[in-house]
Amino acid sequence: MAKARCGRILGEDIYIEEGDTTTLYFVNQLRVYQVVLAAFKALDQDICHDGCSLPSIVNKVIKRLGKLKNDLAASDVAAEKKESLLSKVDSFLADANRLPQDTSQTCRKSAGECIIGSGCFATGALNLIDIIEPKAPKI
Amino acid sequence: MEIPEDLKNQMLGLNIVLGALQSATGEICKSCIGLEGARTKVGKMVKKLGMDLDTASISCEKTKADLQARIDTLSKAAEELKVAEECECQKTAGNCKLGEVCFVTAGVDLMKLVP
Repeated sequence: MAKARCGRILGEDIYIEEGDTTTLYFVNQLRVYQVVLAAFKALDQDICHDGCSLPSIVNKVIKRLGKLKNDLAASDVAAEKKESLLSKVDSFLADANRLPQDTSQTCRKSAGECIIGSGCFATGALNLIDIIEPKAPKI
Repeated sequence: MEIPEDLKNQMLGLNIVLGALQSATGEICKSCIGLEGARTKVGKMVKKLGMDLDTASISCEKTKADLQARIDTLSKAAEELKVAEECECQKTAGNCKLGEVCFVTAGVDLMKLVP
């Protein structure tokens, strides 16, 4: 079956077979995590570093990446491709683990420092993950 | 410090958006009109931020200079976003299979959180 390029993750071009939606799901998830983690790193340079929302979101991302890893391991993705994608999940998990995870700090809104209103950049960035397709396959 | 709230929020937002776009340049988005358009849009936002700072009533010269330095950093980051010379929508090219959405566009839309 013909292979088509469907992304570039951590400097590696990713090719999948046409119609392989299971592998495409994992590739697209990793594509978006790559961008979302970069947004979190930028947030970590700002007042969000001392707040509770970013750590709370980071904890969620760590859990979700862990689940993604388990789902990928249990999936019928071809062995070689699976190994390659799993190493990328591990890399993103390591990135996420370097971000703040202490949720005991005061929300920067409550502290009067964050004056963005009702929105939250950390939550907004997390929501990027949920907009992409395809949705999770049944593993 | 007497920094206008909207300036502060926009600086925070643009820093995040630029971080996300920077990451997308390492992706297939590098050759995509989506990222090319996002770079233009964010570049304009940064430019407007500089104009807003010029007209803002900030009496402390040091504060103003610090803010200008931050805007200059954002401007440089926007200019340095590496986009291919020849771009085309990667969905149309058959490379991007994210569905109807585009996470680059959605990333820029994070700026809508700024009131």
